[in-house]
Amino acid sequence: MSVVKCDHCALEFDEKVMIKDGEHFFCCNGCQGVYHLLKNDGLDSFYEKKGSNTLEQPIAVGEDSSNFDLESFAARYIKTTTEGFSSVDLIIEGIHCAACIWLNEKVLDSTDGIVEAKINFTNNKAKIVWDEDIIKLSQIIDKIRSIGYNAYPYERSATDKKVTKTNRDYFLRMSVAIFASMNIMMIGVAKYSGFFTGMSQSTLHLVHIAEFIFATPVLFYSGWIFYKGAYFGLKNKIINMDFLVSSGATLTYIYSLYILFGGVGHSYFDSVSMIITFVLVGKYLEVIGKKSAVDTMDKLKMQIPLEATIIKDDGKVTVALDQIVVGDIVELKAGEKASVDGEIISGDSSFDESSLSGESIPVAKQVGDMVYSGTINITNVIRYKAVKNYANSTLNTIVELLEDSLNSKPKIEDTTNELSKYFSITILTLAFLSFMGWYFYDHNFEQALIIGISVIVIACPCALALATPIASLVGISWLTKEGLLFKEAKFIEVFAKATTVVFDKTGTLTKGKFSVFNIDIINKTLTKDEVNILYTLVNSSNHPVSIGVKNYLLAHYKNLEEYTLEDIKQIPAVGMEAVYKKDKIFGGKANLSTKYTTYKFEINGNLIVQFELQDSLKDDAINTINYLKEQGLELIICSGDNQSTVKNIASQLGIEHFKHSMTPKTKAEFISELKNQDKTIVMVGDGINDALALSRSDISIAMGNGADIAIAVSDVVVLNDKLSGLEKSFYISKRTYKFIKQNLLISLIYNTITIPVAMMGYVIPLVAALSMSVSSLLVVGNSMRINNKKYKDKNG
Amino acid sequence: MDSNSSVLWLELAVGVIVSFSLLGIFIWAVRQGQFDDSKRQMDGLLFDTTEDLQAAYEKEQKVKELKEKKAKKSVS
Repeated sequence: MSVVKCDHCALEFDEKVMIKDGEHFFCCNGCQGVYHLLKNDGLDSFYEKKGSNTLEQPIAVGEDSSNFDLESFAARYIKTTTEGFSSVDLIIEGIHCAACIWLNEKVLDSTDGIVEAKINFTNNKAKIVWDEDIIKLSQIIDKIRSIGYNAYPYERSATDKKVTKTNRDYFLRMSVAIFASMNIMMIGVAKYSGFFTGMSQSTLHLVHIAEFIFATPVLFYSGWIFYKGAYFGLKNKIINMDFLVSSGATLTYIYSLYILFGGVGHSYFDSVSMIITFVLVGKYLEVIGKKSAVDTMDKLKMQIPLEATIIKDDGKVTVALDQIVVGDIVELKAGEKASVDGEIISGDSSFDESSLSGESIPVAKQVGDMVYSGTINITNVIRYKAVKNYANSTLNTIVELLEDSLNSKPKIEDTTNELSKYFSITILTLAFLSFMGWYFYDHNFEQALIIGISVIVIACPCALALATPIASLVGISWLTKEGLLFKEAKFIEVFAKATTVVFDKTGTLTKGKFSVFNIDIINKTLTKDEVNILYTLVNSSNHPVSIGVKNYLLAHYKNLEEYTLEDIKQIPAVGMEAVYKKDKIFGGKANLSTKYTTYKFEINGNLIVQFELQDSLKDDAINTINYLKEQGLELIICSGDNQSTVKNIASQLGIEHFKHSMTPKTKAEFISELKNQDKTIVMVGDGINDALALSRSDISIAMGNGADIAIAVSDVVVLNDKLSGLEKSFYISKRTYKFIKQNLLISLIYNTITIPVAMMGYVIPLVAALSMSVSSLLVVGNSMRINNKKYKDKNG
Repeated sequence: MDSNSSVLWLELAVGVIVSFSLLGIFIWAVRQGQFDDSKRQMDGLLFDTTEDLQAAYEKEQKVKELKEKKAKKSVS
């Protein structure tokens, strides 16, 4: 058996299942079609650009693209430009690499009538502008589909526009700050070298002017957001970190101006610039995180169908979702996604409800059962009566709740912010007292003012502001090396303070895959034909139980062969039947009295073999749970699955508390309930059904192979999908937090020593320059010890 | 002011003018949205070929023609 690569998507498959086309191999007809299309259109340089990247197999889209030309669609998504062209925002599905963007743009640009086709690399959103007189949108969509991708419209939300604007604004301010700080650092080398080796007063003055030129835009342009933050903080009677940064930087700037225009000593424009730049970079990273969450939210909305088929007196009518009213009869074909919630009035089918419950086993539905929006009808056509309109239906409600959570996610205030309140007030009070004391003692206003300001300058919050970010940076780089992506540095501290961990079950604690743990062969052994018929039957289904049986056969039997089965039929919630050489075969649910999932295989009604299967625990689940218990954390399982299954998993792991049959909403409510008890909650999940609960928790962790939306709303992503990542996250976060506290202590000790010296009027430029650098260096040096190699080898 | 200082002042003036001009161009580009897609910038910098630049030019020409046609049509 040899493995070959598909010449289009570069995925590897067994040669036997590949389509051979001359010298080329393709894994499917889609890849073959796209390959020839690109060759014929002279776009084969796509493969050079793609390099060794693999692609998804081309998306086979069954939907009719004429929906894109409907009036209701145009009214909602299509805008007219000032030049009279039409414009639409799309999300392109199936994009993997720069070559995919190149290909899509190239194909669209070469299409007559398209004025602009710009796809964003970062979020796969595209803006298409076209001339309606030359080409229709449906033709453009067909063009995209013809090369193996798909496109969905999206409405640019107010949040999206706002976040894009903020993103651009922060990027600009940060770029200006970095540009100016780099220049100041170069000038600083000359300044400090001159300080020790001798520099004429006129040259020093020139250096100060150069620093002034570069520091001014940093303080007043880049640092404007700190002034704004401080203003709104004061308006709400809160002294925050913004106040500390802006007041410290402004007073240092004023002091430096005094030196520049005639005072004696050294200016500190470099400190002004560095502190603004450093804190601003951290803020920019937060803005990027938010932008990425908004982009993924649009991808979730994309899962909502564009329109639905409703039954009226005069037949079937396709309508936009917001035109569906309660009481309308909706028809749902196999493979379609439900758009509104409703009750089945005719037909039965099975539904994939994994987007709501997280459970991969399809759910059988019949007349009288509820259908929820966002779930997929798998087998038969059904008709159901809408009981909710689109706005109030399940999927839209979840999207709206998620948007609210993203905009107002409360976070535990970090120690530095808390400390900065007291620090700022103390320093400002001491500076004022120094000024008053010296003025009444010496009656020299200028001298008193300089001493007052020097207290603030010497207490420049460099060390305090660096205490958390530097330690977090070291912690985060260690975490990243371990495959743990912390989206923001502040999550380390919250993680270290956690009291309760809530787990989703499927895909988080368990593998989400069924495996056979018990087999009962009626005649002791299976014949070659029986094994191969069973193998062929389970191989023709994607049902998780069939896959579990298939994997068992592959592991226990050699030289399996696929036979030709006829009349293969799916029986919803029961199994499959087929015919092999006139023998009627059946594979599906067995009626065994067990808490486990069962599967039986029959030929002509005679039972041949039956299996018991269960979703197995992840390999590292038990060790991780034991570690978390040792740390004194409260552990809870919160699952959409039934009571017996959840109880079974909880008992295997030794977890006392568990919640079963939870919906996305009840999961989120449970998290809120726990938070009301003053607990710090870590939620670990992987599915769309967990997204709302993840967004409500203090810290949310998503497994790397989870749903996009779960990854987007989570604070931490375990990239390698291993539960042991959780153990490492706790361990590294706790160690990093310990060092953050040490750094804050160093900063406070430094201030306790230097501030009295400044108050007494003994601060000379050399002492100020040295002490400011030494305090920062101590904080940096201490932070470097976090991932000390010896310690890491021993414990990490 | 000695001659060394004069040179330094001149260097400072030229340095500030040049660097702030470049910063000005950068700010203009960011405001135009050219840096909204950071991945594209990196990729373009590393992999854009002369053919890609030629294609971009041809695309500009095509758009110009389309806009002219549309404008003429709306006038008539």
